[in-house]
Amino acid sequence: MPLRRHSGPPRPAILRSLAALGAAALLLAGCAAGPAATTATPASGGTLTYATGFGEPTCLDPHVGGNMPQALVGTNFVESLFSQDADGTIVPWLATSGTPSADGLSWDIALRDDVTFTDGTPFDAAAVKANVEHMQDPATASSTAILALGKVTEVQVVDPTTARFVLSEPDSALLESLAQTWLAMESPTALQRTQEENCESPVGTGPFVVSSWTKQDNITLVRNDDYNSPPAGSAHEGPAYLDEIVWRFIPDSATRFAALQSGQVDVIDEMQPDNVVAAESSDQLDVLTGALPGASIRLELNAGYAPFDDEKVRKAFIASADVNPGIESLFFGTVDRSYSVLSSGTPFGASYPDDFAIDPDRANQLLDEAGWTGRDADGYRTKDGQRLTVDFPISTNQSIPAEQSLFEQIQATTKEVGFDVELHPLDLSSWYAALGAWDFGVTSAIYTKNSPDVLRILYHSSNIIPAPSGYHPNNAHVSIPELDADLTEAGQTTDADQREALYADAQKILSDGAYVLPLYDHLQKIGYGPRVQGLSLLPTLQIPTFYDAWVQQ
Amino acid sequence: MSLPTSALGAGEPASPRGVGGAAGDVEAFGVGGEASRAGGSGGGIRGAGPDGSGGLAGTLGRGSGGAGRGLGARGPGARGFVGRRFGGLGALGALGVPQWIALGFLVLLVVAAVVPWLLAPGDPLAIAPAEAFRPPGWGHPFGTDESGRDIYTRVVHGTGASLVIGVAATAIGVALALVLGVAAALGGRVVDFGVSRFLEVLFAFPGLLLALLVITVYGPGIVTSTIAVGLATAPGYARIIRAQTRSVASSAYVEAAVVLGRSRGRILGRHILPNAIAPVFVLVTLGVGQAIVWAAALSYLGLGAEPPAAEWGAMLFAGKNYVATAWWMTFFPGLAIVLSAAAATVLGRALQRRGPR
Repeated sequence: MPLRRHSGPPRPAILRSLAALGAAALLLAGCAAGPAATTATPASGGTLTYATGFGEPTCLDPHVGGNMPQALVGTNFVESLFSQDADGTIVPWLATSGTPSADGLSWDIALRDDVTFTDGTPFDAAAVKANVEHMQDPATASSTAILALGKVTEVQVVDPTTARFVLSEPDSALLESLAQTWLAMESPTALQRTQEENCESPVGTGPFVVSSWTKQDNITLVRNDDYNSPPAGSAHEGPAYLDEIVWRFIPDSATRFAALQSGQVDVIDEMQPDNVVAAESSDQLDVLTGALPGASIRLELNAGYAPFDDEKVRKAFIASADVNPGIESLFFGTVDRSYSVLSSGTPFGASYPDDFAIDPDRANQLLDEAGWTGRDADGYRTKDGQRLTVDFPISTNQSIPAEQSLFEQIQATTKEVGFDVELHPLDLSSWYAALGAWDFGVTSAIYTKNSPDVLRILYHSSNIIPAPSGYHPNNAHVSIPELDADLTEAGQTTDADQREALYADAQKILSDGAYVLPLYDHLQKIGYGPRVQGLSLLPTLQIPTFYDAWVQQ
Repeated sequence: MSLPTSALGAGEPASPRGVGGAAGDVEAFGVGGEASRAGGSGGGIRGAGPDGSGGLAGTLGRGSGGAGRGLGARGPGARGFVGRRFGGLGALGALGVPQWIALGFLVLLVVAAVVPWLLAPGDPLAIAPAEAFRPPGWGHPFGTDESGRDIYTRVVHGTGASLVIGVAATAIGVALALVLGVAAALGGRVVDFGVSRFLEVLFAFPGLLLALLVITVYGPGIVTSTIAVGLATAPGYARIIRAQTRSVASSAYVEAAVVLGRSRGRILGRHILPNAIAPVFVLVTLGVGQAIVWAAALSYLGLGAEPPAAEWGAMLFAGKNYVATAWWMTFFPGLAIVLSAAAATVLGRALQRRGPR
């Protein structure tokens, strides 16, 4: 049985389990090398334990808010209208096709007629309409979904298997948006419950069903025996193999890896770079990696408030923040330095390495020109008695320890020219609060979206205003009319050359203005133990899928 | 008037066991110590005060207007206290080898805290990514961390933070305990009831939990965690001080001072407080060790020193991510915590054994 490997950057094929290979070596003598252990027939049954480091969702319904913890667990019980293959091409899932009108102002989405939600509600055009209305309802407090649907004015039920999306302006990223887990389809019957209830046990069409959620401990998912809608590229049909998935929360990465090594859990995410290296050289453990689409891991300089409202100060920061030595030593060769705001898994990314050259002399000169000429007793620059302080809230859920160490190194190198960067490691909700109040000078925020349209979400001036969830994606507080125009136009046109030119121009504007310091690609790093077979990443968001997965008893 | 005389005699410097107070001191102290370790169930202490609450206040009130002066009786309590202190210092000569080692280590710690650059001239925050994860060896006796910072330099420079937190937190705890304990002992039935119940409520929480509560409200940082640890240790000290104060206040020499017409402030300041506090000083030595461990624990939980400060608990936290590949990142800061806590405890125990018994 051919094993579906990860997509993303090409990696040498890792033998599935050297131990099993070794045991089978005598039998296999003379055979071509291959993932022999996986040729075993998948067995139904068993429980798989997953330990996530992304944090516990506050609500399991991915429409509400819309972050990575929700997408990771949600992929098991909700499904989207579309999916993407390894090349990023849109492929049908719950929808069978999507056809735009000539003016691009409406899309007819044809739907499968044989899918049922796990509460018995049929999946049809009315369900799609109810879902879009739910996502766009301010009371849902969505951020990701409502922003992705920003151009959708309404959904019309043409017939039970055709939903018409009516747009205010053409949207070249509509189908990509609909492929995201945050815009997945939920039972309209279940959506009528209170938000509290729906957050506890959202109902989808997925291969698993939410069985229970013990807060701060685990979510238990059980198999959906009536499942019939696997995404394209799946290795089998019908229900999943696993009886049950126990979804645990282990925020500490060292503990998470130790739990994987000892066999307490079968799969972990957010692996530390040194653990990736250790797992890859181990004969017991394996790693799935994929570049998450959307923005790269980057620092956003808050240009709306002092001191980074001054372009010279931003440029001085970027010219003194030495990143490369840290990327080499902290990440053990698992990531490459990025000079692009977009991740390598996203089309139309443009790199401008020269804008990020390290030049302390120039940084000093820029700060002098900007009026930060004084120095206090600790060596920090001052202006009118004020120290050049840059608050840096760090989400300990989103930034792995190696990344936090990288931030410490940035703190050290920018100190040499007189910046006082103050690092504040915060839990997710405190971090959101700091961002929401614009109470930061610089921060690092991940944003996963399977389209270059992520640039519009992150840097269009309209997204300085918070979404209903309270989150404003434009953390750099970028407000440039030409940039807005580029991003709007690129989001409307379907002409690839024109989009490329517009996105390149937009990225050049960002780079010239020194709003963002790209660091490296955001990689999904999933480690798994010897029991686990058939695990793969869904290409859309590089999220692990357990539909084909099974455990050796 | 035989009482003052005997008290004076007992306070002579030559006697290391020169105790002004009654034997009840020691009992109360012992019980208090047990109760504070057990984190609750303080019934034993309440028996330590020989008579009912409020009795003392009454005594003082009567005394102030009372008997004639001129007997010239000095505060035997103060003498006794001074004598005991000298006795304690004099006892240094009788320290055993472990105590000397502990004392030597503490002196080294103080040197590291006050003039760290004498022991480690480098910059504890200086990064050198090219030299990350170096194991202990020449040039880097304790190895380097993930950013190439020298761990020896960081451990030495981290001493100040740990020691200051340990000492300051204990001082805060004792100061607060003094107010609460004395108020409970001398403030009358109502105050005693209020303070005692309040302390019992605090005792119901493990100390560290109390510290976490304070930090949750006021945000993480070195100052907050110092205050938090101080507040968390206060109830234990407060109980001991209350029991001590009551015992001392009902002693004969205080009664004598009252009879002699000394002012209330003078009786409190010269007779009661010094005698009531003395045993606590021994406990404080033990407490500093505990406070260092707690402060490190808070930093380890990300609630104390913020990165990349050279603080032992924070270093432990950073190192634990690499415990499988770079053991030295956790081993040396951990060793520093263990040794300082152990040294403070060894000395504290020695003082305790030589103390008022």
